[in-house]
Amino acid sequence: MIRETTDPHTPAIRVRNLINQFGTKVVHDHLDLDVKQGEILGVIGPSGCGKSVLLRSIVGLITPKQAEIDVFGVNLDKTSSKTRREIEQSWGVMFQDGALFSTLSVRENVMAPMREHLDMPYGLMRELAEMKIAMVGLEADAAGKRPSDLSGGMRKRAALARSMALDPKLLFLDEPTAGLDPISAGNFDNLLLSLSRALNLTVFLVTHDVDTLGAVCDRIAVLNQKKVLAIGTLEEVRANPDPWIQDYFQGPRGRAALD
Amino acid sequence: MSGNQARFDFTTDPSGRRVLVLEGDWTAFTISPIDRRLKELRVDDGDSTHVDVSGLQDFDTAGAYMVDRTMRQLGAPTGADILISGEHHSARDLLEVVSKSIPDTIERSPDEGGLKAMVERVGRGVVDFIHEGRGILEFIGEAVATVVRLLMTPHRIRWTSVVAVMEDAGLDALPIVAMLSFFIGLVISFLGVSLLQQFGAQVYTVEMVGVLMLREFGVVLTAILLAGRTDSAFTAQIGAMRMREEIDAMRILGLNPMEVLVAPRMLALVVMTPLLTFAATMSGIFGGMVVMWTVLDISPSMFILRIYETVPYQHFWVGMVKAPVFALVVALVGCRQGLLVSGDVQSLGDRTTSSVVQAIFLVIVIDALFAILFLELDI
Repeated sequence: MIRETTDPHTPAIRVRNLINQFGTKVVHDHLDLDVKQGEILGVIGPSGCGKSVLLRSIVGLITPKQAEIDVFGVNLDKTSSKTRREIEQSWGVMFQDGALFSTLSVRENVMAPMREHLDMPYGLMRELAEMKIAMVGLEADAAGKRPSDLSGGMRKRAALARSMALDPKLLFLDEPTAGLDPISAGNFDNLLLSLSRALNLTVFLVTHDVDTLGAVCDRIAVLNQKKVLAIGTLEEVRANPDPWIQDYFQGPRGRAALD
Repeated sequence: MSGNQARFDFTTDPSGRRVLVLEGDWTAFTISPIDRRLKELRVDDGDSTHVDVSGLQDFDTAGAYMVDRTMRQLGAPTGADILISGEHHSARDLLEVVSKSIPDTIERSPDEGGLKAMVERVGRGVVDFIHEGRGILEFIGEAVATVVRLLMTPHRIRWTSVVAVMEDAGLDALPIVAMLSFFIGLVISFLGVSLLQQFGAQVYTVEMVGVLMLREFGVVLTAILLAGRTDSAFTAQIGAMRMREEIDAMRILGLNPMEVLVAPRMLALVVMTPLLTFAATMSGIFGGMVVMWTVLDISPSMFILRIYETVPYQHFWVGMVKAPVFALVVALVGCRQGLLVSGDVQSLGDRTTSSVVQAIFLVIVIDALFAILFLELDI
């Protein structure tokens, strides 16, 4: 088990010297980032600064030009495929648009990772999937529906349920509250908080939602100018004199949310 | 991940209460083996059952669900009221979270089978068929009306997309159409030579190749290639736009999809298909000429002269007149099926399939109708 072989002070994610480049456009230039175990790290930054690219580099969907990425102290490029598989089972990813399989029902979507990774009786998978669906706040009758029959907010919840199907230790969320009404977004924040406490989750949260930052994040990383510009608690980051950060938190939306 | 097996046991603590003792890891990866045994548990006087978590190691929501389910089965308190003895860093939190998330039991309607379902499906099939027929007629009407309206106000025609489709569906299809037709020409004349040789009439192969290519093969081959190549592309393009709500966005912006998407494709194909047909016909005849030259030693100039003398002009026009009709069929079927795509990937695949099938089917049926018509007209 991963948890037993690592000591709790190893960062859950350790990124060093990450360089990402598309054509001539450099997205990340020697970017360093640590995510501690059990924390919720909010990643903010202007649109197009490479937040999603960073997420995709860590989970291996993009091969960066150069990088040293350790997850739970294991370098995924150099480890055996068995360890890699174990690490991959211990994380869940929720994509920006949900990325639910459109030919499967919500229940089957949540069951998909279980089928792939667990040797579990069908009935139990079904029960667990329905429990996860209820856990993210969906009505029971949503389980049998196709993603195309759901509203945007419901799709987000279904996507969260799928990303948590295997009870991951590490959760990547790409703008989970974007497009949700404030009440749903608030519920989502509460859900994330209670789950992350109960499960000792490490969460890598890409967001634009200032409310979410204030409500759930232990630390905040600001991505800008191809690097991590600032990282720390909300107060520490707010105290940073960088003009973009000041604009972000001092703007009308930022102030209204945090004061 | 392999961990310690999940184990459980029942004991009675010193004060005489029942205790469910959990041991090992209770996670999604370890609980499967005990699922059945837990389900079979039945205890009548279990209303004060405690859970002992001191021997518990890894614990997650799947494990918590199992504990919660078992406690409900035993009639014991769950959720915030659950009676826990022993210490575990996350057990209580997890059990609370999970017990709040037990879905209401969904009533599943029993699957209806047998005769009733069959009759119902037949009925649905018939109704769908009628709807489909009416849908096709409506679509044809709307498309033709749009094109006629556009032709009266030519400045409203999207010339850029017309030209783009002309290149995509016309110019880019030229090599494949010409090559296929060339090979068909080869095959026909080989067959002709070997069959007609038996009567010593092998020289009539020239007429056969000429007439067949001009009347039928040039145009039908082109239409079938367009149905496979262009029609499927139309369906996929428009279908993907529908899935991404681009069509809805167009409507809101006051753009008529008929005008923006369908009409340019119709116009482009109506212009390009006769040209492609001409190319196909010529390269088919060229294929025949190559065979005649190599097998029968009929020189190209003799071949051309013979075609000129023995194959009347009308055959050319019989072929060409069908080309715009087939073009319309391909464009209309492709666009209509694209517009019928609904939200999911499955329907995109289904629609593309039926688009190609319908287009090829219609091309061949219409070709047969033309054949009957020309026979009656004695052309």
